[in-house]
Amino acid sequence: MGQYGVLVDITKCIGCRGCQVACKNWNDLPATKTTFTASRTNPPQMNFNNVTLVNFHTIEKGDKVQWRAVKMQCFHCLEPICFEACFVHAYKKTPEGAVVYFNPEICTGCRYCQLACPFLNIQLKWDEVFSRVRKCDMCYDRLVRGLKPACVATCPTGALKFGERDALLKEARERIAKNPDKYVDHIFGEKEVGGTSWLYISDVPFEELGFRTDVMHESIPKYTWKYISKAPILAVGLPILFAAFYVYTKRRAENEDGGH
Amino acid sequence: MIGANPASNHPIAFRWITKGREQKGSKLIVADPWFTQSAAMADLYVPLRPGTDTAFLNGIMNYAIQNNLFHREYVVAYTNASYIVHPDFKIEDGLFSGFLESGKYDTSTWQYTGEKDPTLQHPNCVFQILKRHLSRYDIKTVSEITGAPADVYEEVCKLYCSTGKPDRVGNAIYCMGLTQHTHGTQNVRALAMLQLLLGNVGLPGGGVNAERGESNVQGACDIGVLFHVLPGYNPVPSAKAHPTWAAYREKTTPSTGYWVNRPKFLVSMLKAWYGEHATGENDFCYDFLPKTAADHSHVSTFQDMTKGVVKGMFAWGQNPVVGGPSAVQAREAMKNLEWLVCVDLFETETAAFWKAPGADPAKIATEVFLLPAACSYEKEGSITNSGRWIQWRWQAVEPPGEARSDLWIADRLFKAIRKEYQENGGVFPDPILKMKWDYGEAECDVVKVALEINGYEVATGAPVQSFTKLADDGSTACGDWLYSGYYNDVHNPPCKRRDNVDPSGLACFHRWAFSWPANRRILYNRCSVDPSGRPWHPERALFRWNGTGWVKNDVPDFNAKLPPVETADKAFIMLPEGQARLFAPGVKDGPVPEHYEPVESPVGNRMSGQQHNPLAVLWKGSIFDKYAPAESADFPYVATTFRLPEHYQTGGVTRNQPYLVELAPEMFVMISKTLAEKLGLKSGDWVRVATARSEFKAKVAVSSLVRPLTVQGRKIEMVCIPWHWGFQGLATGAIGNDLTPAAGDPNTRIPEYKAFLCNVHKV
Ligand code: SF4
Repeated sequence: MGQYGVLVDITKCIGCRGCQVACKNWNDLPATKTTFTASRTNPPQMNFNNVTLVNFHTIEKGDKVQWRAVKMQCFHCLEPICFEACFVHAYKKTPEGAVVYFNPEICTGCRYCQLACPFLNIQLKWDEVFSRVRKCDMCYDRLVRGLKPACVATCPTGALKFGERDALLKEARERIAKNPDKYVDHIFGEKEVGGTSWLYISDVPFEELGFRTDVMHESIPKYTWKYISKAPILAVGLPILFAAFYVYTKRRAENEDGGH
Repeated sequence: MIGANPASNHPIAFRWITKGREQKGSKLIVADPWFTQSAAMADLYVPLRPGTDTAFLNGIMNYAIQNNLFHREYVVAYTNASYIVHPDFKIEDGLFSGFLESGKYDTSTWQYTGEKDPTLQHPNCVFQILKRHLSRYDIKTVSEITGAPADVYEEVCKLYCSTGKPDRVGNAIYCMGLTQHTHGTQNVRALAMLQLLLGNVGLPGGGVNAERGESNVQGACDIGVLFHVLPGYNPVPSAKAHPTWAAYREKTTPSTGYWVNRPKFLVSMLKAWYGEHATGENDFCYDFLPKTAADHSHVSTFQDMTKGVVKGMFAWGQNPVVGGPSAVQAREAMKNLEWLVCVDLFETETAAFWKAPGADPAKIATEVFLLPAACSYEKEGSITNSGRWIQWRWQAVEPPGEARSDLWIADRLFKAIRKEYQENGGVFPDPILKMKWDYGEAECDVVKVALEINGYEVATGAPVQSFTKLADDGSTACGDWLYSGYYNDVHNPPCKRRDNVDPSGLACFHRWAFSWPANRRILYNRCSVDPSGRPWHPERALFRWNGTGWVKNDVPDFNAKLPPVETADKAFIMLPEGQARLFAPGVKDGPVPEHYEPVESPVGNRMSGQQHNPLAVLWKGSIFDKYAPAESADFPYVATTFRLPEHYQTGGVTRNQPYLVELAPEMFVMISKTLAEKLGLKSGDWVRVATARSEFKAKVAVSSLVRPLTVQGRKIEMVCIPWHWGFQGLATGAIGNDLTPAAGDPNTRIPEYKAFLCNVHKV
């Protein structure tokens, strides 16, 4: 069995947000208080009680307008940096492909994982009160019972497709090849940070939909461990490195945010 | 897709649209005033000004005729295009011949002469009348009226008319954007006529498809929850026209077409209702049926409250204080009620009308009862979807607390009323005391109700297999002839079937639930083949005449015992003439659609001196008679209402659902960037939106999804208003329908929710 993943075809997403609600429902997460937003994305960002979020984007090009909905959650890196960043091993990458925060009892609340996530807001969410992390775990409890993740099971249009990552990758390539005029020739998640279990294809360039396309294509752990694993003062070295990485990525993102 | 936004409002329907596009390479055209979620999915999007759909559709028909893109063989065979119309029939300055001072039409010149010209050349044949009438709707004119850019509109005409070829088919989807106008019937007719011209009715993948506003609104209509029809679309008797069974029978039964069977359906219904009391001697208790003497549509009913005619009201799963037009006025009218019973899941705005903001409870004497109802998963029964599939739904959980199913409530209510009549009598107790009501003593059994709706033989009690077995002599009973067959087997009723095999590959799914009538999946399916019985295209071979018999992939909507030539001119079996109407003598406001402006419009009517539909129902002299004049300076912007995916209708349920409130917490109105600039507004600012009827405050969303349209050289701005909020529930906000006009369509009385005038000020 290969690793599982989900292929998100943004051109097929109608923005019904069934996935967002299904996620909360399955994981029994409470509703949070929200207020009006002009884009209708709500809550405006992911938070501890919303670990999947559909972002609405209005894209203007001259006198043409386009509108797209993009479901965001943990991308489930093939080589997850959160896993590497955690000293106490609260995370694991399961053979099924899900990256799971499986051991909250031993979590010390250091937040390195959150700082380390190259996708910033996308991945891990911190609860201030309980010093705990929550993230999408691809409905691991469903996966092991042979069920699809709740969001995929709910999606009415087939914008979300669950399957083995290799097969999904193949299908994504085929869809692009069949409709070269429609799709952007890029499968997000194929190579980013060494590959992620969630893959995206789109007809609007990913940068315009809030994706970070400037992340390195080599896996971050590979990159960092190459230099750091041999260092004697690991406990000091890693946090500093990740903190620096966090500051760097955050600043980049803030600069970009101006455009959205 | 016109006046419909299934991506937002019917997401499951969009699943099949997505599938069709993927598997068949279908193209999606969306026409809508603003760039909706469906528009975002379209291959081709075209904007149009609210209320100009008739002009828009007439223009496409004109394009098809002028460029010879219509399906001639289909049109000649299956429509009334060849019929010759009365020589005095005329269309002048937006009026049809026979317009009377009373504001109605004398339709004597709208009738057929009885002759036909299959060459379609006769100057007074339907086709030539239509051609002349539509020729005024050229691309430039339509673009000027609707604001659709001429080049995009032409592309739409070209693409859609390509479905006029026999090897192609086009599917028309509409919703309340088309119906909720003072000319809503004509809008839908125009869409149906376009489909007929292009040969797109009666084929797999074709049709005129309504996206209904509620999951079971089709079932509600079928079973008679309308003010003008009994179950199965038999007309409600009128005191004047149908005082007796003989009069009803004579006046509502045509001499040809399937409705010749109406007496069988009505007698069987009366037998179901009055059982042994209904006999041939007493006209099967026809006299027990209430007869109407006046208009009992929604607004009339509220108007009658102001006059003290209507003293009490049941609002059963309905929230008119948020959902009805001119809601401020409706609340005013309700203050005159002596009693009000609301049956709902939560205390809706209707149940709480007496404590609405601005109301003084001390001055309202209405006694209000709120009966807690079970939701759809807490009760058993059937729902009918837009494709007419009757699907049984089982109970998943028990309702909480004292909540009960609607059936339980109706049963107790009836029994209490009957007891009251038994003990204390009344003016006319028989219709109550003689009613057959045997669904169980203590508890009402839903299966018994289903069996009665399906129909049974009176002598044996055995379920009838289909409506073809119904008789007008009292030997059969049937609650709704259309549903006959859906529950014809107690142990294995068709509506409970769940087998999704599709041997023909034409998405018929005959073994999934039951589709009325007779489990037929595609209506008027004789049209799927040519007159000689050859499929228009081998890929869509619903039927095929093999020389000796029919090869069938659906339940025929024609007499399949006969060879094709004998049914070729009777494809539309429900019509007396057997052929579809490109010219409809029975439509109150005209036999062919003509463009009229909405009652409240920012411009004059470019096509005629009739500013709006001359037959529009304006509720003159009542509290609902409040409209801005055309080209009003006080109300310069076009307003239209819309729905969001997260809230359902009036929000009575969804605004009490925390997850949905989290997604869509606050009421807002949506405007363009240009209007925002003009008014100095940015997203999140509070605005006051005012119409001739009322005003409210809401936050504004400035969006490039809304854009001004150029209409007759002027830029017209638009204000888009969702109508899901009210003053009850977890998320409260202004009631969108406080602003909408009550003005109604003359055929249906549907109010003009979708096009009116407003003004916007920064607060
Ligand atoms: S459920 Fe599917 S279609 Fe709906 S928002 Fe989520 S991904 Fe998009």
